Amino acid sequence: MASATDTAELPVVAAAATLPTDDPHPETDGHRWGMVIDADKCTGCQACVVACQSENNLALNEENRVIERRAKTWIRIERYWEGEWPNAKARFLPVLCQHCGNAPCETVCPVWATYHNPDGLNVQVYNRCIGTRFCANACPYSVRYFNFWEPEWPSPMDRQLNPDVTVRTKGIVEKCTFCIHRINRTKRQADRDGRPVADGEVEPACVQACPTTALVFGDLNDSDSKVSELSHSKRAYSLLDSLGTAPAITYLKKVDPSHVGEEEAGH
Amino acid sequence: MLDSFRALLPRLSPKQLIVISGLGAVLGGGAIAPMILLIVLGAMGGTITGPPEQPIAFDHSVHAGKAGIACEFCHRGIPVVENTATALGTPVSAAATIPSVEQCMFCHSVVATDKPEVQKIRAAWETGTPIEWIRVHRLPDHVDFVHDPHIRALAEAHPSFSTAQICATCHGDVASMTEVEQVRALNMGDCQGCHRENSAPLDCAVCHK
Repeated sequence: MASATDTAELPVVAAAATLPTDDPHPETDGHRWGMVIDADKCTGCQACVVACQSENNLALNEENRVIERRAKTWIRIERYWEGEWPNAKARFLPVLCQHCGNAPCETVCPVWATYHNPDGLNVQVYNRCIGTRFCANACPYSVRYFNFWEPEWPSPMDRQLNPDVTVRTKGIVEKCTFCIHRINRTKRQADRDGRPVADGEVEPACVQACPTTALVFGDLNDSDSKVSELSHSKRAYSLLDSLGTAPAITYLKKVDPSHVGEEEAGH
Repeated sequence: MLDSFRALLPRLSPKQLIVISGLGAVLGGGAIAPMILLIVLGAMGGTITGPPEQPIAFDHSVHAGKAGIACEFCHRGIPVVENTATALGTPVSAAATIPSVEQCMFCHSVVATDKPEVQKIRAAWETGTPIEWIRVHRLPDHVDFVHDPHIRALAEAHPSFSTAQICATCHGDVASMTEVEQVRALNMGDCQGCHRENSAPLDCAVCHK
């Protein structure tokens, strides 16, 4: 028994190519903020960690928090040992939110508290977060931190909080923002002056604090910027590249002059 | 406690409030009345709570209205744009800022010194105690509001506007207010509505910090 509905044409379902995760770097006329971390220059001094901690209103990590593995450091220095004593070498790797183009954290959030913004930043909207911690579990770099406690500062440190950064409450996930308040401030100033943002004008706290300029920040959409140039270096690689997360952070491999015969020894 | 209760409630228009209150009155009963009262209080949510009581009965209708003093003459944090009449103000401040006691004394060391309210300012100035004004417009901590881009956008859209007209877009006609009160909801819906109308950015990270 054929009815009119049986013969009616089914609507054509739009191709899946419109999924936001398909193209990690969609064409925008704006910025695509990125960072280059030179492992050859990093001395593991932790200045970036301290700078980040005070810039972004992160509470002090007491000993117990570290033992419980619930310490919050938006940027951390990972230390690796190479070789056996007495010829052991310490290798340092600063790890922060990679602001992935194909971020695993963004797709798992049930309330869209984390999303990719037009400037290529992975943004966390704190007051939308309900604390499921799916994102922190999905992140392969373990750079998302859950607030197990209300942040507290011993007096008088509670008076040095940065007014440009909100204090996150208990029960939500937070992470590195690439110092988005500094980016916004610089963009506003450039807009007021009627000029584009200059290369090197925006500096997150970690970049500013780095004594060896191991960290470089800038616009990857600008082919003349320092980050663009450095990210095309022969030493460039991404963390956990095989996962296809398309990070906005490029690492530069360590040059070890003692490894004679390797490609890097030439330059 | 009331603030946290307000946050749970929807913001209602006056018409909706009347309908709900009317229903409550008709259905009657002592049990419903306090509930309705709470809903009304909650829905008011800072928009129609009326002006707070200030330590000094400062009258904007005299200063900005009758005397015609420009907003940025006292609120010196306002970034001033070129098509407005004056060139006062510091261009980089995010907040409009409340004038200092010294700023009041700029005029009131000679003007209307016999008025009791003015003598309060003089007393504060002489003893060096700041006046504890009650803040009327306050956005939540997670909002990164900066006056500058808003004032510039309004000045570009309405080249004939004076500073007072630009400020009135969000702050209402302060020049006619005896006591200043908040006239717009200034919640996220209010901000977004305006951003949509003027094709301003709608990216979360533009306002949320």
